[in-house]
Amino acid sequence: MALSTIVSQKKQIKRKAPRGFLKRVFKRQKPQLRLEKSGDLLVHLNCLLFIHRLAEESRTNAYESKCRVINKEHVLAAAKVKSRFLFLSKN
Amino acid sequence: MADHNPDGDPTPRTLLRRVLDTADPRTPRRPRSARAGAQRALLERASSRRLSGQTKTIAKGRSRGARSIGRSAHVQARGHLEEQTPRTLLKNILLTAPESSILLPESVVKPVPAPQVVQPSRRESSRGSLELQLPELEPSTTLAPGLLAPGRRKQKLRLSMFQQGVDQGLPLSREPQGNADASSLTSSLNLTFATPLQPQSVQRPGLARRPPARRAVDVGAFLRDLRDTSLAPPNIVLEDTQPFSQPTVGSPVYHSLPCTPHTGAEDAEQAAGRRTQSSGPGLQNNSPGKPAQFLAGEAEEVDAFALGFLSTSSGVSGEDEVEPLPDGVEEAEKKMEEEGVSVSEMEATGAQGPSRAEEPKGHTQVTEAEGSQGTAEAEGPGASSGDEDASSKAASPESASSTPESLQARQHHQFPEPAPPPGAAVLSSEPADPLLVRHPPRPRTTSPRPRQDPHKAGLSHYVKLFSFFAKMPMERKALEMVEKCLDKYFQHLCDDLEVFAAHAGRKTVKPEDLELLMRRQGLVTDQVSLHVLVERHLPLEYRQLLIPCAYSGNSVFPAQ
Repeated sequence: MALSTIVSQKKQIKRKAPRGFLKRVFKRQKPQLRLEKSGDLLVHLNCLLFIHRLAEESRTNAYESKCRVINKEHVLAAAKVKSRFLFLSKN
Repeated sequence: MADHNPDGDPTPRTLLRRVLDTADPRTPRRPRSARAGAQRALLERASSRRLSGQTKTIAKGRSRGARSIGRSAHVQARGHLEEQTPRTLLKNILLTAPESSILLPESVVKPVPAPQVVQPSRRESSRGSLELQLPELEPSTTLAPGLLAPGRRKQKLRLSMFQQGVDQGLPLSREPQGNADASSLTSSLNLTFATPLQPQSVQRPGLARRPPARRAVDVGAFLRDLRDTSLAPPNIVLEDTQPFSQPTVGSPVYHSLPCTPHTGAEDAEQAAGRRTQSSGPGLQNNSPGKPAQFLAGEAEEVDAFALGFLSTSSGVSGEDEVEPLPDGVEEAEKKMEEEGVSVSEMEATGAQGPSRAEEPKGHTQVTEAEGSQGTAEAEGPGASSGDEDASSKAASPESASSTPESLQARQHHQFPEPAPPPGAAVLSSEPADPLLVRHPPRPRTTSPRPRQDPHKAGLSHYVKLFSFFAKMPMERKALEMVEKCLDKYFQHLCDDLEVFAAHAGRKTVKPEDLELLMRRQGLVTDQVSLHVLVERHLPLEYRQLLIPCAYSGNSVFPAQ
């Protein structure tokens, strides 16, 4: 289906949703539940938005610490901040 | 024309003198013209000789001299001049021209142009310029200067303008007569238009390009490099998936892996000494396996592949073992070495290459499984060796069957994933295909992987997206961190969806649940609806599936 849209990026980004992967993950987690066919696309959308926010936050953290590279700590801090949205326990 | 020239005298001066001495001092037209022609011929011949021997400038000077003389002769032919005969002119030349250098016949030219008429000067100058331009054609010019003139009148005019300007400049420059520079300037002026390029080409023969010296290609080194590079990529590809499998194992195991397949193709003995224990038996197995593989008709690449895959697989299994049971690894190593020895003995009896490659793999798996469990270690090698003893070919399906057991045994230890059925299916299909030695190693080595890889592959997709969104270089540890976050995220996601579906009294998660989830997360607000987000972030095909749209025929897709 839809493949990369090269938006001034060197590498190509696949915009395909790994539907099989998502379905498998859901099944493994909650075998008793069923997922509707369009549901995994929305799950994918959710993932995209989650990663987007996480990346933005990590990037901000890296800027503030004046590093040129995103570090583990930046990501951790970002996850901690954003966890309240997703009820993630702070790792 | 009469050839008055006895031999190759260097200077025109001497020639002129000779001419003056010998010729009659009469002034009829014909002899004059003949004399002029003879003089011209003499001078041109001299100039040709000069050209052949010396630079063009001198020749041009000569030809200019010839030109001037020709001019004067022409003038004489017209009879416009009152008292000037060629004889007198030549005498003037001889008197006025400095004897010092051959390069200065231009000063000879200076007194001459003054009394001249424009037209004859033009013609003669053009003829002289023609002579300038065609030094090679001098013999022809000497023979038929008259013929040249009508043919090139057009060129004459253009050149003649320049020549006129130059000639007009000449009287001015007559003042510093003794100045060699001025004459050289004028000569250069006169000469530049004719053939400026020739002196350069004559002066610089070195412009001819030499072919670049090329080193002979070392074919042996090239082939070796080919082999090495052919080895490296598949292993790199295989190992690329590795970093996600066991991040805590550390670098040394990884480093050993790229080294081992690389060196394995080169020298089995050296590599055996250098390699880690896990890949050792693989090598030993393959060294006796090599001749059989050659028999099977496969190239060394197969060896390399098999080696690489075996080592990586054994390395992989070694890694997996390292984590849970470091002590078990040592035992497994011992087992593997023993097995390697026994298997090599078995193989030496004459099993097939692919099956052989398969068996040590199965043995390693079996041994590792046994080692990891720490139970029935003696049985494992005994059973496997028993299988070996029965028959080489029979051993392969048996090993295939044993591998599922081993794999399941490992699964209890590590990962609850149904890897053995695909692994067994792959393994069973392999012995049926001995010719495709290359393909069997790959699925064989990937059989321990699928438990991790699809999950990691799916996650890696999102990790790549993370690095894409971040737009900044990231560390590997950071990417692993992102993986962990994603794992947790998925868990929480599923839990939430379960709660929502249960709240709605359903057992199927519907898009409404998803929307509720996103609303809770703050992604979907009253201002921003889900459809907006869908349109923004998802590609067109998904948009069509998600957002109900009206189509022709009073139909809405997807149906609501």
